[in-house]
Amino acid sequence: MKRSTKSAAVARVALLALAALSLALAGCAKGGGSKKATELNLLMEDVPETHIIAKLLPEFEKATGIKVNFEIVQYGDMHSKLITQFMSAQSKYDVIEVDNYWAGEFPAANWLYPLTDYLKKDKFDTSVYVPQMLDMVGYYPVNAPKRALYMLPMYNYTMALIYRTDLLNDAGLQKKYKEKFNAELKVPETLEDYVRICSFMQQNTKVAGSAMQAGRGDPVVMEWTNYLFGLGGEYYDENWASRINDERSLKAVQLYRDNLVHGAPKGAASYNLDDSLRVMSAGDAFSMITYNWMLAQLEDPAKSKVVGKVAIAPMPGAQSLAGGWGWGIAKNTPYKDDAWRFIKWVESFDVAKRRALDGGAPTRSDVLRDADVLAKYPYYALVEQILTKSKPVPEFQFSAQMVESVGRELSLIMAENKDPKTALDLAASDLAELAKKAGLSK
Amino acid sequence: MKKLSKLHSRTAWRFISPTLIVLAAVVAFPLLFSFVVSFFRYTFITPKFDVFAGFDNYLFSFKDQYFWNSFKVTLIFVALVVPLEFLVGYGIALLLSRDIKFKTVFYFILTMPMVMSPVAVGLIWKMLLHPDLGIVNYLLQKMGFGYVNWFGDPRWALLAIVLIDIWQQVSFMILILLAGLTSLSKEPFESAKIDGAGPLQTLLYITTPMMLPVITVALLMRVIIAFKTYDLVYIITSGGPGVSTDIISYYIYRTTFMGLDLSQASAISFLLFVLTMAIVVVLFHQITKEKRR
Repeated sequence: MKRSTKSAAVARVALLALAALSLALAGCAKGGGSKKATELNLLMEDVPETHIIAKLLPEFEKATGIKVNFEIVQYGDMHSKLITQFMSAQSKYDVIEVDNYWAGEFPAANWLYPLTDYLKKDKFDTSVYVPQMLDMVGYYPVNAPKRALYMLPMYNYTMALIYRTDLLNDAGLQKKYKEKFNAELKVPETLEDYVRICSFMQQNTKVAGSAMQAGRGDPVVMEWTNYLFGLGGEYYDENWASRINDERSLKAVQLYRDNLVHGAPKGAASYNLDDSLRVMSAGDAFSMITYNWMLAQLEDPAKSKVVGKVAIAPMPGAQSLAGGWGWGIAKNTPYKDDAWRFIKWVESFDVAKRRALDGGAPTRSDVLRDADVLAKYPYYALVEQILTKSKPVPEFQFSAQMVESVGRELSLIMAENKDPKTALDLAASDLAELAKKAGLSK
Repeated sequence: MKKLSKLHSRTAWRFISPTLIVLAAVVAFPLLFSFVVSFFRYTFITPKFDVFAGFDNYLFSFKDQYFWNSFKVTLIFVALVVPLEFLVGYGIALLLSRDIKFKTVFYFILTMPMVMSPVAVGLIWKMLLHPDLGIVNYLLQKMGFGYVNWFGDPRWALLAIVLIDIWQQVSFMILILLAGLTSLSKEPFESAKIDGAGPLQTLLYITTPMMLPVITVALLMRVIIAFKTYDLVYIITSGGPGVSTDIISYYIYRTTFMGLDLSQASAISFLLFVLTMAIVVVLFHQITKEKRR
């Protein structure tokens, strides 16, 4: 009897200790207050913008005494790494780099801390950003009357056409093109023109027409969406009814497939953005539909054989795909104030300008229009126009799953494993289900 | 006597309890948690146990054509890599078990792929087999063979993944089988030699039967590991082109981190667990049948 009383007492003490520990942990995780940070941790994608910012970090560290650690990984590793941190009691990452694919998911899941109070307190002017960028990686829900600002735009990867000027202006090729099509060989204005020029280049030069990125998943979706938007197509209509299997989508698939067969390197069905860039920078392709910041990479003599021979143009057709990253603060970090301090510093005009001068992809209009920036990169004037004309994929809780479904079906079409209508019908049914699951449609 | 045995038993439990607690925390709890989750509608967006789903998550998988495709691709993958790795591994282990020069150098070279991370292996082979810039296609064309679209053609992509997996995992087979070969008793071989047995007869009637327990362990371990293969597909093909390399672990990954549906992913994981266990039990039963007789 005595023994059982002793055991019960031990159990009570253990339970009390456990409860106290749980309360302490919960306090750490959910506490509204912010602790002082000695270090800030960020998960960053391995792209030029990250390395440009990394070079500037010592300035922030010297000014604040806060060490900033970048964990640099490939894009594909980021989403799962971030989610596991958001689901834990305290996030390892304090400042969050948010792709626009996740700009609907993270705020909807309550994983980001709204920036509204910080903006108000520090009178941070958000009107300096290109409005489309702020809508894409800033506000959530986009276009809703009661929306909050969860992110500040970091950099843009809006897509455009990059092409070889030496080939387009080649007198022999121009003559041949005129003879064959009774039309001028010039920067294409329609998708049909673009596909025709790519096929022509493939047949009449030693290079591929377009360094396409038709690998399954994100690569094929990003590129094909330009064809879809170029033809005025959509993923959803204004009531979140799926439109991915309408006539425009089918036409976009047909043109994309034509280009893959007649105007792309043989292995393009498995390419991602790195493969396309390698082919283009090796001088083995006439063009690529890609991220506008790739132009700076192609103009870098250390990385490219086509320096001085490339130019950028808007995506042929109506619109191109907008893309970009934003800065957010993890809701479950105790270092929110210092996380904001970092965002405020990295998005200040001075730092944003220096990032742009080093080859970054700005989202602030004042940086895109800055005289020094334009003197170094005259095409930024055109980039700003492209940014204002582009639009992102629909942003909601299940954008990543939407991209996955569409990417799978497009890859099946490109591999000739499924006919376009059947594949797009299935994608449409998946998209309708996702909109319903997100509560956006009935 | 009985009292002493009880005391020993209690002491044993005291010693083993820290290990059991750690195992319960890191193995049993996650397993139990995911099993419970598979019967609810628990997602990353709404991580709650407020909607009981019964067997819906399991039934949903059965109705999904892409689940069955992943299931088929995984079975083909396992059926190709395990026997091929065994044959190659056993052959090399037999060669290395003989008295040859530079054995250490061979050991070093052959174990290198195994110590590399699958991600690094994936990236290296992705460049080597790059359809348009890779050295393999360049050499094949120089030698008069045609162009092979390794990762862009559904007919080649799974085979390419199989070959890369064999390249990396064959070291595992070699090491386990070699350890078994070097520990075999010498007497039966000497007797066989005196009786005039040739190399093939020795291999079939002496070496292989004596190696059966080691072969069983090696095959079972490789089957289990092969079912969990994920990294190579993730790095190289993302399951494409189409769904030709969409193995089940990658399907589960996508359901978890893109679909954000932990319940669905847990249900598929348990189906994979049951399937793997069933195959392991059948394989174990078949391989050891002869010995039990």
